[in-house]
Amino acid sequence: MTDTTSIPKRATVYSDTPEEREFELRAAVSSYWTGGRLFIGMFAFLLASEAFAYFYLRSSNNGQLWRPNNITAPTGIGWAIEFTVVASALIALFGQVRLRRGNVLDWEVAGWTAVLGGLVATGLQVWQLTKLPFFPGASGYASCFIGWAVMNILMLLGGTYWMETTLARSLRMGGASGVDGPDQLAMTSSGQIFRANVSACTYFWGFMAVGSTLFWVMFYLI
Amino acid sequence: MSDTAPRPDDAPVAAADGEPRHFARMIAIWLMLSLILDPLFYFLVGPHVPPGTMTSTAEENQFDFNILIVIALPVLIAVWVYLGYSIVMWRAPKSGVADPVGGETARTHLGVQAAWIAITSVIVLFLAGFGTFELISTNGAGGGEGPNPIWTPTAAHILPIQVIGQQWAFTYRYPTFGGFETKQLMVPVDTTIAFHVTSLDVIHSFWAYQLSIKADANPQVDNVAFTTTNHTGSVTVRCSELCGLWHGAMFNYGQVISKQAFENWATATEKANASNTKLLPPFAWTYVPDANGADGGYYNDTVVPYSPSEVYGAKQPAS
Amino acid sequence: MTISAERETEVVYPDPTPPSSGWFQGLPARPGWLSQHIGTAAIGAVLGYLLGHWLGNVIASGYDYVANSGVTSIANTGGIALGALGWLVGIGALNYPLAKIIGKEPAPEFETTSWTKYFRYTADHKVVGMQYVIGVLLFLFTGGLLAMAIRTELLTPTSHVFGPGTYIAIVSEHGTIMMMMATSVVVGPLGNWLVPLMIGARRTAFPRVEAFSFWVFSAGYLVILTALPYGGFPTGWTGYAPLQTQAGGGMISYLAGFALIGTGMMAAGFNLAVTIVNYRAPGMTWSRVPIFVWSILATCALLTLATPTLFAAGLFGILDHTAQTAFYVTEHGGSSYLWQNLFWFFGHPEVYIMALPGFGIVAEILPVFTRKPLFAYKVAAAGMVGVALLSFFVWQHHLFQSGINPDMRPLFMLTTELISIPTGFIFLVGMGTLYKAKIRFEVPMLFALALFFNFLIGGVTGVFLSDVPVNVTVHGGFFVLSHFHYTIMGGLIFAFFGGLYFWLPKMTGKSMNKRLGQIHFWMMFVFFNLTFFPMFLIGLLGQPRRVFEYQQNLQALNTFSSISAFILGSSFLVFVANFVWSIFIKPTPSPANPWDSLGLEWQTASPVPYYNFERIPVVLTDPYHYSEDGAPAVADLGETVLVGVAAPAAADGPPDTGLVQHETSPE
Repeated sequence: MTDTTSIPKRATVYSDTPEEREFELRAAVSSYWTGGRLFIGMFAFLLASEAFAYFYLRSSNNGQLWRPNNITAPTGIGWAIEFTVVASALIALFGQVRLRRGNVLDWEVAGWTAVLGGLVATGLQVWQLTKLPFFPGASGYASCFIGWAVMNILMLLGGTYWMETTLARSLRMGGASGVDGPDQLAMTSSGQIFRANVSACTYFWGFMAVGSTLFWVMFYLI
Repeated sequence: MSDTAPRPDDAPVAAADGEPRHFARMIAIWLMLSLILDPLFYFLVGPHVPPGTMTSTAEENQFDFNILIVIALPVLIAVWVYLGYSIVMWRAPKSGVADPVGGETARTHLGVQAAWIAITSVIVLFLAGFGTFELISTNGAGGGEGPNPIWTPTAAHILPIQVIGQQWAFTYRYPTFGGFETKQLMVPVDTTIAFHVTSLDVIHSFWAYQLSIKADANPQVDNVAFTTTNHTGSVTVRCSELCGLWHGAMFNYGQVISKQAFENWATATEKANASNTKLLPPFAWTYVPDANGADGGYYNDTVVPYSPSEVYGAKQPAS
Repeated sequence: MTISAERETEVVYPDPTPPSSGWFQGLPARPGWLSQHIGTAAIGAVLGYLLGHWLGNVIASGYDYVANSGVTSIANTGGIALGALGWLVGIGALNYPLAKIIGKEPAPEFETTSWTKYFRYTADHKVVGMQYVIGVLLFLFTGGLLAMAIRTELLTPTSHVFGPGTYIAIVSEHGTIMMMMATSVVVGPLGNWLVPLMIGARRTAFPRVEAFSFWVFSAGYLVILTALPYGGFPTGWTGYAPLQTQAGGGMISYLAGFALIGTGMMAAGFNLAVTIVNYRAPGMTWSRVPIFVWSILATCALLTLATPTLFAAGLFGILDHTAQTAFYVTEHGGSSYLWQNLFWFFGHPEVYIMALPGFGIVAEILPVFTRKPLFAYKVAAAGMVGVALLSFFVWQHHLFQSGINPDMRPLFMLTTELISIPTGFIFLVGMGTLYKAKIRFEVPMLFALALFFNFLIGGVTGVFLSDVPVNVTVHGGFFVLSHFHYTIMGGLIFAFFGGLYFWLPKMTGKSMNKRLGQIHFWMMFVFFNLTFFPMFLIGLLGQPRRVFEYQQNLQALNTFSSISAFILGSSFLVFVANFVWSIFIKPTPSPANPWDSLGLEWQTASPVPYYNFERIPVVLTDPYHYSEDGAPAVADLGETVLVGVAAPAAADGPPDTGLVQHETSPE
């Protein structure tokens, strides 16, 4: 145990073998897969907390102040946000399908549309906050709505940022990145990792669409 | 690694002849200690365990605690005996590491694992069942059951006492005596009592230690807890939920007194306080701060007006 | 050997292209005081705070009733938010995220043996791990000093050292700081440092997320300290509304601090969980994963899934204070129970975030010092997963007396008692491993054994608390306080120090002084028990938590506990002395594998190179084949040697590859 001579004193140089590169690549690709799902899981718990607050305050209806007079946030803007988010997510999903088939341009157009949609939805959400017919502390509904609006802005900005960075990366990588061609042909490692990233991002957009639909139903319909 | 390398011919030999019967020894020590300490605790310490025997819930909670100790002690002793035995018996020799058991048999032992899981499961399930029984049979064991208590006493006469927590004092209102308010808790003996605990500001917790009552005082919530007093004595009341600056000084005292003394005290206080009681908000289960009044006044929560006739009938809002 | 001699082991890293200049990524990553480091982070934090505070006042001035109310919540929130942002910008955490917007690749990582790397934003999980070591120790000692202040006040039942406002601020800060620290105390330092090595990975999945987690964590530390100049907050670590709604400026520090710490927890858990799932070396099947990694994986599941609830709860609280929403205001349609539910839905998994890693550490330590395989490995792993799952279904046992859902009490009593079954597996594992062992009482082993002593008391008293009738007496009193100190401090913190004594030789390359370690252990163990055991009695005898006045007849116990606490506190000075002496003043080089462990983390060069392993190891079996005849080697480490008990190469003396199999003999 006191054998101090055993400390290696030796400069080694990093190297990797083809097998190791393959291993690292697979790990990186599947990390995006796992990470994307886990990220969705985290957001799901965040939204679930908001939903819990909604239903808890709704059912306890303290002081008859859950939602006096059934007042809602501006429904027109609410519908517009909902439509924009769902449409953008569908376009993003469509782009992802096109990318899998190898059509990079379609994906890029769809992606930029989704980014635009995300920004528009964020803008609408902020605008809606200035048009509320109630004071934030006026009722349980009002509080929950503000909470949701803040979360929605966070989520939309996150999803839009993610989509935008993949598109920017794609532009910068150009053809050399291996994004041209169907999945099976994207053999470069950066291309494969890139595709995993796009796929995770698109799933997150799908999750955003589902989440905002649920809250749209909660805040405007029921 | 040479001196730590396994010497296969060594270990089995030791096990064959020189090996003492470890488990038998440990079980013997464990059994002896458990058999001594358990009754020692139950009969000597048990009757003095808080919160005493002043009320039915106190009695049951003390009994519950003692049963838990009687089960916990052998568990503690078992682990400690085992640890102590291991530390004493299975030390590494000073020079070099001799070979302990290795191999697959040291990694798993189906019997031991199954027995462990079975024993812990049985203990735990028993405790959960026992706890549930005690909880229900004592009508909530003195804990706050919220505005719509599900385990209510069957006694014909239940005395309601309202406990109002505010920063930083407890006061008590007696609705059956005109709703007068006092700073001292007075309780008649041999009576089933319903404590209606509420708060005017933040969350407090009404802890009548000797009565074995603990119920959080939430604003606009009527948190009900039941107990039946067994004998007279003095009671300490403390706030057991952090409620701000003077939480540490939020305590007062009460008395469990004879029925007649209580009757006398209540009627006398009702009369003496009559002029003050008029100034109080009308009695209600909960009170809402008057958001519009600059004087910090309170108005009673109009959602459920108090009606002594329907004591626990109407559903109240569960916050 | 001096520190400079250590630097002979200069390592050449892959292709260190010089940094390009330019905005965003161009900020030089090369060491140098003009680049980004903790100093620029501090400047960023101060500037951000001032800007945010000003901005908050500007916003608030638009609303008359806020501007004239004297309420500073908006300015405080702005200051803290932009201050934290400035801290992150200053350290360079946002360089790459911003560069990404224009599609840039990450800047090359410059690794250096210079000590300055510990003050930078770095992608090396080992550097992040060491940063966390210092970070959590700072956190722990800050909270510890506050504990000393609490015990000073409780020396006497009535006379006051502090005013009630100061006292309640100290109590709240102590609780909050300790809880924040305990969420990351093992996952941060040991998890980040060890997990990639234990699973044979050369990196973590998202190294920048990992670094982000540390710098957010440190921002959270600074933010919770800002509560003190704001006058503290009166709610304790549980932050119950409406007291929360009533509280002044310091409350924002609590809410924002917890949101920041929560962000760090999510980031750390996210990265480690993904790493464990995807970067396990070839051959490291789930039944070969070291038990510590299992514990970290279970913890990460809780960190990533339970913490968002805390974040949401904190967000709602901040909105209540700034936007004037009414989430927790009952008379405006909110509910104070909402906070309790959200907080404890996070809070109870959090409790197991503070238990599982400790189990993992002792389960790693025991086989090494008993020279026996880990007993019931699969039961242990299943137990950790079981605890993680069940912990989501027990939260209302904190609310047994609160007045909600009395009908759910039997259910929550059942789930709470059920969770003691998988928790108890750690005792099965420990006792099985000790059976007929040959125990070496090195310092880490002492700490590991202490966990079994302490956690047994903590666990058994937990069953008392879960029993609703007994809970009536012990809830909200010193009994529960003692219970969770026995589990968190007696369990997790003991395991943490055991883990430090165990792994620091590998992490720093220096041996810790054994004698000082023993003194530290015995002081800590004895006086921990003398401090906290009396508190069970104090609690049973009727002393509520967080009070500054108590009954006269409890003074003897309280004073005894206080004096023990002072000695317990000073035991950490021994640790600091040991740490400073052994690592900095008179460093004694440590062998690469001082405890003769089979764990994969020990089977690489010391100090561990940037890329961890010469070759990605091929794992052949689990690392617990102690004393087994003919057991297979743990891993094929490529061109180096087969390391393991039965590795024939081991006996042939140190090979020249640097991976040295050294002779060991216990002292």
